[in-house]
Amino acid sequence: MKRKSWHLERRTLLKSMGVTMALPWLEGMSWGSDKPQQRKRFFAGFFAYGVPMPADDAPDRLKNGWFPVGFGKDYVAPEMHASIMPVRDKITFLSGLSHPSMRTTSAHKGADYFLTGADLLKTYDKQSISIDQHLAQTLGKDTRFESMVLSSFGGVNRPYRSSTLSFDRAGRPIPALNNPAEIFRRMFGVTTADERNALSSRGSVIDEILSEANDLNRRLSALDQRKMDEYLSSVREVEKMTERAVEWQDTPKPKVNSDKLDLSLNVTSPREYLTLMYDLIALAFQTDTTRVASFQTACEEGGLTDRFPSALGLGNSSHKLSHEKKDYDEVAKYIAFLNEMHANFIQKLDSIQEGDGTLLDNTLCFYGCATSKTHRAINYPIILSGGKHMGFTHGSHLNYSDDIPLSNLFVTISNQLGTPTERFADSTADITEVLS
Amino acid sequence: MMTNEPLFVYSTRRLILPTFACMLGIVAPCFLSVSTVQALEGDGDRPSLVFEQGIRPFLTKYCIDCHGPRQQKANLRLDTLDADLLNANSSDTWQEVLDLINLREMPPKDATNLPSNQARQAAIDLLTSEFRRLVELRRSTGGRNVLRRLTAYEYNNTLRDLLHLDLRFASDLPPEGSAKEGFVNNSSVLGTSALHIEYFERIARNALSRIILAPEEKPSSYVVRIEPERAYKVIPNGQKPKGSSASYQLQPLVDGKPQYKGLFKLVSGEVSPGGNGVLLAGNRPQDPIDSPFSADRKIGGALGDGRSGFQPEFIAEIYEIPHDSPVRVTIRAAAIAGKGNTSPRLSFELGSFRGNGVSDQKEGGNIEIHSQDFRTYEFVVHGANFPFQSNKPSRPSYFRIFNDFRRGTSNLSYEELPKLVIDWVEIESNYYPNWPTLQKRAILIDSPNRENEDVYVREVLRDFMVRAYRRPVAEKEVERKAALFDKLRPTHATFEKTLVSTLTAVLCSANFLLIAEPVNDPMADEESFQQRHLNDYELASRLSYFLWSSMPDATLFALAEQGQLTDTTILRSQVRRMLNDPKAMAFSKNFATQWLDLAAIRQIAVNPEFFVFEEPTKDLFEQESVLFLHHVLSNNLSIDNFIHSDFVVINHKLAKHYRIPGISGGFEVRDLNPEHNRGGLLTQASMLFGNSTGSESHPILRGMWVLERMLDMPPPPPPPNVPDLPEPKGEDETGFSLKQRLVAHTTIQRCRDCHSRIDPWGVAFENYNALGQWREGDIDPNVKPPHQNIQVDPTTKLRDGHTIQNLDALKRYILREKKEQYRRALVRKTLSYALGRYLDFQDRPAIDSICETLAANHDQFQILLEHVVLSEPFLTK
Repeated sequence: MKRKSWHLERRTLLKSMGVTMALPWLEGMSWGSDKPQQRKRFFAGFFAYGVPMPADDAPDRLKNGWFPVGFGKDYVAPEMHASIMPVRDKITFLSGLSHPSMRTTSAHKGADYFLTGADLLKTYDKQSISIDQHLAQTLGKDTRFESMVLSSFGGVNRPYRSSTLSFDRAGRPIPALNNPAEIFRRMFGVTTADERNALSSRGSVIDEILSEANDLNRRLSALDQRKMDEYLSSVREVEKMTERAVEWQDTPKPKVNSDKLDLSLNVTSPREYLTLMYDLIALAFQTDTTRVASFQTACEEGGLTDRFPSALGLGNSSHKLSHEKKDYDEVAKYIAFLNEMHANFIQKLDSIQEGDGTLLDNTLCFYGCATSKTHRAINYPIILSGGKHMGFTHGSHLNYSDDIPLSNLFVTISNQLGTPTERFADSTADITEVLS
Repeated sequence: MMTNEPLFVYSTRRLILPTFACMLGIVAPCFLSVSTVQALEGDGDRPSLVFEQGIRPFLTKYCIDCHGPRQQKANLRLDTLDADLLNANSSDTWQEVLDLINLREMPPKDATNLPSNQARQAAIDLLTSEFRRLVELRRSTGGRNVLRRLTAYEYNNTLRDLLHLDLRFASDLPPEGSAKEGFVNNSSVLGTSALHIEYFERIARNALSRIILAPEEKPSSYVVRIEPERAYKVIPNGQKPKGSSASYQLQPLVDGKPQYKGLFKLVSGEVSPGGNGVLLAGNRPQDPIDSPFSADRKIGGALGDGRSGFQPEFIAEIYEIPHDSPVRVTIRAAAIAGKGNTSPRLSFELGSFRGNGVSDQKEGGNIEIHSQDFRTYEFVVHGANFPFQSNKPSRPSYFRIFNDFRRGTSNLSYEELPKLVIDWVEIESNYYPNWPTLQKRAILIDSPNRENEDVYVREVLRDFMVRAYRRPVAEKEVERKAALFDKLRPTHATFEKTLVSTLTAVLCSANFLLIAEPVNDPMADEESFQQRHLNDYELASRLSYFLWSSMPDATLFALAEQGQLTDTTILRSQVRRMLNDPKAMAFSKNFATQWLDLAAIRQIAVNPEFFVFEEPTKDLFEQESVLFLHHVLSNNLSIDNFIHSDFVVINHKLAKHYRIPGISGGFEVRDLNPEHNRGGLLTQASMLFGNSTGSESHPILRGMWVLERMLDMPPPPPPPNVPDLPEPKGEDETGFSLKQRLVAHTTIQRCRDCHSRIDPWGVAFENYNALGQWREGDIDPNVKPPHQNIQVDPTTKLRDGHTIQNLDALKRYILREKKEQYRRALVRKTLSYALGRYLDFQDRPAIDSICETLAANHDQFQILLEHVVLSEPFLTK
């Protein structure tokens, strides 16, 4: 295989930054139909259980705290953000924002409303579309997959302990993928002759399934019909996905060599697993397989993803760490680790050239958590990065008063990313300070 | 799905310390009479007398001054607020009112007129129980079953029985959620996303292709024959001493001709006396008897459940063996009995190497060998169900065989251990005794019309659809699939390929994936939305998904066809038949898992600072509860055994965990003595560990578990904004038991009331540590230093004034004082699982009647299942 010179540069660059590099070689550079500069992408990432917040006069404020000290361009970043400082001018820290409806919620429900801003305080009935899916309606038109929904936990889990960040137009959770081999297969797996044949008949098969289901529906009670609606709309959605797949079948999938990726990894090795998941998102963006991705790094529920810290030798569950009231050393180490994973991803995007700039310039990345301290659903810790070509500017710590809805930012993001939007969830305005 | 979520949502998931520092009040568990239990089931249209007589006066007295006609502080006016708590607009406000009263934030402390504690609590109790009643009403389906999707495990089993192919079909499906009461098969939580449909399509197409598109010609079989004693022939001077290993090159036979090389290795065995086999003892020769884990193989492997290590064993590394096919393993073996007539266990695994010395494997067979003469034992498994294929083609698959007899807590020396003698082993991949396969012939049925595609495809479709839809199919249903076939035929090269696509549509059909009971009979035309009796086929499905978690078998179909299944006598005999079928294990497994919340075991990390613990032991915790329930079921024992039994179902390793001496070998029913402090579900590690913090016992969670799972009295959810319980931290608090901390905590007035309803139940379990091991005195030797110091006091006082000395007393108390409530709880759980929905006030007569019958029949578990089946809700739609 011939290696283009930029590959070597990229590797050298990353090595010098001390970033573990696992991206496989891509054969060729240009994917998709339009010019790379025009591409607009969105990434939303979430981590669980909030951040350590030592008091402002505490001696470990800069060692263990999440929020920067000082505002504007001259902020001082605490140690846990060291990993992202090489691209300080491409990121913005946001503090103060939150979703108004959920400010009094009890803990552990963050993933359910982080991207939707819906009022789930008493019932789940008002669940609504998440920002990534809102954007995917436009950004997803020109790619093989409209969006990519990932989480370390996988599936949807259950209401108020969601293991997916993404919700469709009806507020229904979209199951997240968590198996690297399966994600890779969907995105880059070689389409076999059998699969090609299957696709050619899938349209008719789905038609038949739908029409038969409609027949059945007519013979059901009203109660059953309500349940049947869900099946019907899912089949309709698959119908659309099939049409899209048919449109795409003559476009070969990007050739990605998986030799450098250990696709058998799972959550029992968090560092390697999270690196791999972020790599897969970077690959999806780089190959223009999709332009919208959400990734929930852990579920606010027990189980393996709660044990990430133990697996890293920090001796406790991530939930327990988050409850530490006095000694923030361990939880800070853990959040620093998550930050490092995210920072590597951001820098990876920034190391990949696209058009006049980098992949990061064409990708807006929204990363954070829906609680500051574990049980405090206000003042979300948020890092916004990239998106230079969509008009975003960075380098500051922006602080907002506690009454500003986070959805205001979603309005700005929607408008900048090509989905004109006046209101999102309970937004009251937009946020222009992030724009150049 | 998420949309029908009730008002109250809270978690009993672990590692999330529930915020019970303060709780809403509700009917006190200990004062529960039958009438309050019934109130929980609701009575449908109770007028809001409760509100008018109980809540309104409180509001008028303490709230209306500031939130009434005169002034509306905080923009809130209560006298005109819709008293219908079900009204979505007012219910949020009422919920807040309740929270604020409960948090003692309202009325404000400086108010001139403050309610007494009793008055406040009475108002809280009334409002809370009103909310609960309304929640039940809101999610009510009117006592009617709602259509539901097959759960992932039901889908898997159904494909297995429909296609006669035992593969892990559902492994890629997104993880299933579960209902508030823990049942996965509850219609309201079974969502069907686009991703599901996509997977259903792919799984169906792959499975059908595998069967229908199998080549005309039978694939060559690949045979590896191992003569284990040959491993020693390379060693000069005859035999090697015990405890070392040796290997030799393998030359598998392909169609009788030696071809590929592999490696065969014997570890810690010895050549059998005759010299033509090897002898595998149940332990390493050098293991000292008193070494605590000597009999257990070292735990390793990248995937956590892999095992490698020191058990005497032999391993074959095999290159290029076909892995995605049936594999026949034939073993010629004999037993040498050990002391006390113990027998060896033959166990083998299939797996593969993953590089860096890491392997992944899964057990393929495990049987006890009694015969002292050589016999041939044969196993057929499917390679696709095992990690038989490595992640790299250059890495070998492997096969491992060992003697799984574990010395456990028995006192056998090496010489006294039962030994397994292996003469030879043959591994045959691409094992197809019939070709074309049975699976293929079951779809491509024999017919005189095989040459006539038009006629034949309709015959094939009808035959397949009847089984897939679990009912007769109408002519037009076959025709529409035949039309699909016709449409697809020109674009497909062969009849078979077209058939794969057509049958894929059948396996993605709502008629297959959903358990739907249409309002009118599918064969009839008239419109009717009345409650009706199920027809025979619908009944067959309900029955088989209830007891087998799968589709009906041929017998049920035949009875349905003859219209006999709705006959009570026949229905009864079918229940008995089905419960005696091995498939009934599916009931035990799925019901136990969901009823007892066995998934909690996976969600707790054992704190390595506190315990020496091997992760695979969690499997045993789970197995114990499943096998225990299955034992009660298959022997038709009393449901009292779930509360207390004089037997356990454990293996050597759990015996060691529980410190029950003298037990070796696999899972078996064993008698208990009182000094073992075991018996029933309440003393099983699954419950005790599943309701711990991973370091310590957790009385609140354990109390909750008893109330929710055994007595069906879920405590109310906590109000928002309450702090978590303080966690034990560091040494400064050592010696201060969680119970003492709870006592300290409950001295806060506003918390005391609710805690006294939950905690006492959990405190009775204090003699069991986080792993469910017995502890007393001031040292727990099962825990690592410096965490060994304990102060255990299981004495507790229930709200009804009963003083309970320990768990044994609590079990007696439940069986004596709470028996009816427990019986009713189990009936409700079973019925809810059988119906796949929440129960309703309309179900009350059925519940009453099942309880009565059960009480009159020694509370036998099979009677319970039988009468669930015979109940009105089960038989009607």
